[in-house]
Amino acid sequence: MESLNNLMMGFGVFFTQYNIFVAVIGIFLGTIVGVLPGLGGANGVAILIPVTFIMPPTSAIILLACIYWGALFGGVITSILFNIPGEPWSVATCFDGYPMAKKGKAPQALTAAFSSHFIGAVFATVALTFLAPLIAEIALRFGPPETFSIMMLTFSAFVALGGKSPIKTLIAIFLGFTMAAVGIDIVSGKLRLTFGTTELMGGFHFIVAVIGLFGIGEILLTVEEGLKMKSLPVRMSLRAMLETWKELPRYWKTLLRGALIGCWMGFKPGGATPASFMSYGFAKQFSKNSEKFGTGIMEGVVAPEVAAHAAGVSAMVPMITLGIPGSPTAAVMLGGLMIWGLQPGPMLFKEHPEFVWGLIASIWASNAIGVIIVLAFVPLFAAILKAPFSVLMPSIVFICAIGAYAVNIRMIDIWYMIIFGFVGYTFKKLDYPIAPMVLALVLGDMAETAMRQALIMGQGSPLIFFRPPFALPIMILAIIIFFWPTISRWKQKTVKKECKI
Amino acid sequence: MRKADVITALIILIIGILVVYDGVRLGVIGWGAAGPMSGLYPFLLGMGLVIGSLVVMGRVFIISRKSMSNEPFIRKGGLRNVLYVAIPAALMVALTEFIGLYIAAGLYLALYMRWIGKHRWITVLAVSILLPLISSFVFDKYFLIPLPNGRLRGLLGF
Repeated sequence: MESLNNLMMGFGVFFTQYNIFVAVIGIFLGTIVGVLPGLGGANGVAILIPVTFIMPPTSAIILLACIYWGALFGGVITSILFNIPGEPWSVATCFDGYPMAKKGKAPQALTAAFSSHFIGAVFATVALTFLAPLIAEIALRFGPPETFSIMMLTFSAFVALGGKSPIKTLIAIFLGFTMAAVGIDIVSGKLRLTFGTTELMGGFHFIVAVIGLFGIGEILLTVEEGLKMKSLPVRMSLRAMLETWKELPRYWKTLLRGALIGCWMGFKPGGATPASFMSYGFAKQFSKNSEKFGTGIMEGVVAPEVAAHAAGVSAMVPMITLGIPGSPTAAVMLGGLMIWGLQPGPMLFKEHPEFVWGLIASIWASNAIGVIIVLAFVPLFAAILKAPFSVLMPSIVFICAIGAYAVNIRMIDIWYMIIFGFVGYTFKKLDYPIAPMVLALVLGDMAETAMRQALIMGQGSPLIFFRPPFALPIMILAIIIFFWPTISRWKQKTVKKECKI
Repeated sequence: MRKADVITALIILIIGILVVYDGVRLGVIGWGAAGPMSGLYPFLLGMGLVIGSLVVMGRVFIISRKSMSNEPFIRKGGLRNVLYVAIPAALMVALTEFIGLYIAAGLYLALYMRWIGKHRWITVLAVSILLPLISSFVFDKYFLIPLPNGRLRGLLGF
């Protein structure tokens, strides 16, 4: 009940003219960002963080969160109309969304996808509303060893889930932590990893890294392929929407399953992409007309979308409660929180309830507003991508440069952005995952502080990381997840051997 | 692809060695006034990079000689496209140091649109003048974020 009361208070915080205005702007910008190549959710949020400096923190987080939702919506538009998945978790949407649009059913496909988004968001927000305070309550008892063990869990989930090569994921994580360590040692105040240069003293800012890795890197990949944007025609009509909404309840099982998968997977870092594929796979397995999947049926659009959006929302749970983001975009938002002077983690619920509950309420409200906005303006958003690439591309580079410069007002950051662009381009091609690297860069200081404080607590003994009651099970879980790829491979091999016998 | 893989791993190896070296300089083993020596953390990270990159290189050379794809890292036409974007962008950043981001970006937009996009001059001029102008209003005036003006503004005295 307390949660409900708090939620009501949150709605009170959200429903001011200014915040609603901010939410609408955020959804608009976010959808544009999601539609444009090279400007995904993480990147859009990163570029706009400097803009939020002049806002109150609650409005600022609402803006960033809305950009995130908008980017998720935008990814749907590109995958259904252009067959270009803007984000990895939209790949599964292309399977049935694009064939549907080809059959002239683009409005239906879009309506189904956006509505599933909304349903996924509602599910995940319910989970967020009731689960987050509980987790925060437990997390209040966490000390440095527990914080460190949670980080271990986060990153081992990345190694197990994301990327083709676990060792490359590990390297990416270590690189992220190393970049975070450049500059001044937070405990002793000594300079480190600067090698005598003044340029390196300021370290690397995660926003610059995000803009370079995701933005410039993505652009380089896009131009290399010489992509031609070709949109299928779309004409939204009220009739098509109503038709779709009539049909949607038929897929309640798919929706429910997808939402649950999304909530569960989104909790773990990097979960949205596997969640969308899992949901699609399960829907195909359990559906009566599973052979029609991939030919353009609505169920195939609904399944991945509901899971992806539920995962996107539930990625906020660990971010607010533990200070550990579940996705790169959440990581950038977390960085924003720190810049606004808020300490992410369980104390947020105690110290700034209006911030937390305003954010949670805004997720409910802004997703409802968002569905209406995107449905109404789909042709407009699709038209943006029809603009010639030779106009879009340099404009995007320019906007990225503004974003990179504005964080610290440092010229060197624009150079870093370009360099990170090449790194992102190379890493994408060689299967080094970028998301865990960004996460490590954001969490670097926190991880280091936790580790060193824990070592001080344990007087140098690393056994402190395994102290009961919380750190021990989390660490064990982390180790199991870390070795999961190896275990499952080994299991497969033994099973194969047994079969031969 | 394999060559690129090895070169990237080599670069990571060098970074790792540098990090380990700096960690050792700060002191790894021992107990300082504020807990573990300040070199321990970088040292561990550097070791992670060194070991990881060696494993990646080892795999390229030993295990996956057959299984690895032989497709080139970048297609011929692709490289040209990438350089067409990368070189003007780098030029823009270099110019920004002197004439400020707005003018540099305007030139960059105009160059790319005219040279690669082959747009009409009217479009080229409209976009390359309007976009920097609008962003200067939005960021400089409204959000009070000063963007790099380079040394030009100082020279012109405003």
